[in-house]
Amino acid sequence: MTINTLRDVQFGEELPVFDPDTGIDNVRRFCTAAGWLGPRFTDHDAARKEGLPGALVPGIMSQGFLAAMIHRWAPTANITTIDTVFRAPVIVDQQYHINGVVTDIDEEKGQVEIDLTVTNEAGETRVFGTATVLIPTA
Amino acid sequence: MILDLHAHSIKSDDGRAKVQNYCQWIRTRNLPIDGFVLTEHRQFDFESDYSALAADSGLVILKGSEVETEYGHVLVFGVATAIRRMTEQLDFTNIRLALTDVLAVAHAAGAVAVPCHPGRPRVGMAAHIGTYGIPQGVSIVETYNGGSRDNEDAIAQALASEQGYRGIGGSDAHIVSHIGRCATRFSVDIHNEAELVEALKAGDFEAITFREQAA
Repeated sequence: MTINTLRDVQFGEELPVFDPDTGIDNVRRFCTAAGWLGPRFTDHDAARKEGLPGALVPGIMSQGFLAAMIHRWAPTANITTIDTVFRAPVIVDQQYHINGVVTDIDEEKGQVEIDLTVTNEAGETRVFGTATVLIPTA
Repeated sequence: MILDLHAHSIKSDDGRAKVQNYCQWIRTRNLPIDGFVLTEHRQFDFESDYSALAADSGLVILKGSEVETEYGHVLVFGVATAIRRMTEQLDFTNIRLALTDVLAVAHAAGAVAVPCHPGRPRVGMAAHIGTYGIPQGVSIVETYNGGSRDNEDAIAQALASEQGYRGIGGSDAHIVSHIGRCATRFSVDIHNEAELVEALKAGDFEAITFREQAA
């Protein structure tokens, strides 16, 4: 269901799950656009030489995925904050799922808080955080 | 009675959950827990009074702390006066406390100290045994942690089995929707920190997980 106004939102509502494209080609495109061309993001072997488990999806790309997910759910939403805690690296070419759920609604402010989690195939949380979004009240 | 013994609110630097939203979430989702303990990082929240919220929600809301030692992180459970006595001897903000000091001061104050996520790299007890040896005085560790990855819980459970430790469970929730992923089942009812300490000392409890159901 697409959210247009705050009246459409319910506490505990789950946003549609978003499976981001973390493939190396997509990450390279993002890094080129963002000017982040460090090999740790774009080359698995180079990242492993730095002691990493593989090339990393840049944090700002993960945050972009989170924002994209919210706007797919509520195209009129104004995202005021996305606050993330990176517990474990998000690795390029691995499959992840992004979940979001509404955990607070302030009807006076037209403000919604959303819990966000990025989990891997094993169901382990790699990134968690919250987003605060403004949604039109009418 | 089932309590989530490890949760963080916005009082913790990396906590993002308001306590009232934990309550709302537990009730809306019909989670099978009766309450939770707020174990804020490197502090004890002496100021907050959640009694009205507890009464309104019908949940037990208790307070504890999570401190940091050379063996990793350690949960501390006790009544406020006991924790106050502890803070007079230990600086909870110190990230290099000695585990033996935490255990001894907790014991003397009538509190209970429990190494948490012991299977986790860097911040878990098992990672430091090779360097410092088996610590003396530990009797309980957290064997189910809602934030565990890879084989962290398995390492914790193996450690507990090898050393004869009892196990507790906690979600380690930092956001609302993670509350209740793991918990501890007690054979007695618990309404306050004093009863929690008594139950932990009695040893009649078990760690449980709801992670698969939650996923």
